[in-house]
Amino acid sequence: MSCTGPKPLAALVVAGMVLSQAACVTGIGYQRADLDHFLSNNLTAEALEVVELRRGSSRNEAINLLDKAMLLRMQQQFEASNDAFEQAKDVIDELDAISIGEQAAAVTINDAMRKYLPRTFERALVHCFKALNYLQLRQYDSARVEVLQLDELFKQEEDFRLPFARYLSGLVFEFNQEPDNALIAYRKAYEAYSERGSAIPGILQQDLLRLTDYLGRAEEHSLYDEEFALVSWPTQQVFRQQAHAVAILFNGLIPRLHSHEILAQSPGDGRMHRISTPFYERRYTRVYSVMLASDRAANDSELFADLEQHARAALDDEMPGIIARTVARVAVKDRVVDETAEEQPLIGFALNVLAVLSEQADTRAWYTLPQEILVTRLELEPGLHDLQLLLDGSLRADANHSWQQIELEPGETVVFGLHWPESYSTIGRR
Amino acid sequence: MNRFPLAALAVTLCFSLALSACATRVERIEVDETRDLSGEWNDTDSRLVSEEMVRDALARPWLDNFINETGNLPAVIVGQVRNLSHEHINVATFVGDIERELLNSGGVQFVASKVERDQIREERQDQELNASAETVKRMGEELGADFMLQGAINTILDTEGKEQVRFYQVDLSLISLADNRKVWAGQKKIKKFVKKNSIRW
Repeated sequence: MSCTGPKPLAALVVAGMVLSQAACVTGIGYQRADLDHFLSNNLTAEALEVVELRRGSSRNEAINLLDKAMLLRMQQQFEASNDAFEQAKDVIDELDAISIGEQAAAVTINDAMRKYLPRTFERALVHCFKALNYLQLRQYDSARVEVLQLDELFKQEEDFRLPFARYLSGLVFEFNQEPDNALIAYRKAYEAYSERGSAIPGILQQDLLRLTDYLGRAEEHSLYDEEFALVSWPTQQVFRQQAHAVAILFNGLIPRLHSHEILAQSPGDGRMHRISTPFYERRYTRVYSVMLASDRAANDSELFADLEQHARAALDDEMPGIIARTVARVAVKDRVVDETAEEQPLIGFALNVLAVLSEQADTRAWYTLPQEILVTRLELEPGLHDLQLLLDGSLRADANHSWQQIELEPGETVVFGLHWPESYSTIGRR
Repeated sequence: MNRFPLAALAVTLCFSLALSACATRVERIEVDETRDLSGEWNDTDSRLVSEEMVRDALARPWLDNFINETGNLPAVIVGQVRNLSHEHINVATFVGDIERELLNSGGVQFVASKVERDQIREERQDQELNASAETVKRMGEELGADFMLQGAINTILDTEGKEQVRFYQVDLSLISLADNRKVWAGQKKIKKFVKKNSIRW
């Protein structure tokens, strides 16, 4: 008796295609829409409920944990947020090893069959947000641990630059009374901004001048002095006599990935082919500027990080691999359909439909990230202060924030972090 | 004819294997048994470092000198032991290990730390109001510490791909509260080689 059943490769691909379709109807799509809706309207508690209710594939475990951690942070639950970030780090560590099975699934079914491994800039931001959580908990040693881990990541990814992370490292070292390490971090931030062709934030300029002066780096100091041409900057002595309030606004939401589809019919055999690649939507923040004000002074914000740029650059780097896998998949799926259609044309046709449907771009990403990071700093006299954070451009009535009776000692720095996801999008290629 | 039963058997076997791999397995092990899983600082490191450092601290002349001078065992208070490493190390358990080792050696006595003291003072205040005259413990009769234990845990990492050498250095010192003299400085180093998987299924 001859066997006419599907061959092993065909069986594997078919099973995968069916599974991938099953995953799509479990609600990932509408959960993402719900999450976007709640986040865009600053409804973080509702967004957290959506994330908590996510069940299913371990392929999205890292994303689920990162979203959870970020939403907890938005709700000022810093310890719980760090617990979730730590779990995410463990998952990322495990996923760092290449999976043979997942790679095979990616070249036979679709890219989303792989477990989601956060991109390098997302991994760096895990450390940044953990460090910020610790700073806001006033656990400076723990923030320092994150900064050291961040430095290790930078050593591993030599071409990767995230200047904000370097600036944050400097800030953490200053909290730990380590001006020499802070200067190194600020210098790296300066180099990274310069290499990316970004403007050097004024706060960073002041910090570089202050610390090069304090640490006796005369030559470096004069180079910065000449380049920045600041009218004034505080010496370390003055800086230590003053108190400081730093407000960091995590503005908007990182653009979402969408799928760009090309559907074509083969003229010879009438077979359908679909190629699906991811692209970023255009997304706009409502808030364009932030002002931190006390009863005596006020300062406007500066752009420290444009995370949209990092996301787009990461996708550009991934695109050759995505295209190579897409081409390989077309060949594999075609072969399976050919083999089946020869013996059973009807099943072959059904497989062709399934092959087209299962061809989907991987549009997963850490979507609770902000689009940009704005920073403002205010120098204050030691003592009690009422502080206000004024958000320009928001349509919401609760856009402005205030902190009453903040007591600051000489040399003390207090950090306020505010997430303001209010944003909107228009889908289209940039 | 035999194809179906064989296939069914294979599928059943695969499912059984998959299920057994997923099941949580718990095994009780001795607290002093060494099991390195991630390569990070663990209970064994904490225990070994504390034992060795305490042994070193008790063998040095500062202890006999102090006892000869005062006739009393030195009272030590635990100050800050900073985690300056690349890992989130639970410093409290490490300090607990040191405290226990020193206390059990009988060579020193410990006074309550700043956090512990607040709670005890609150209780003493409460006793002054509510306890009987015979059992009340009065305020202002605490034992003042003679030395403060301070220190730091540092690391140096050397990473190449999936291989990493982790170097830990623990520095502790005892400082005289009377005159800021450092009477003892201990150091313990640990070096580990960690190799991570580069391929998984």
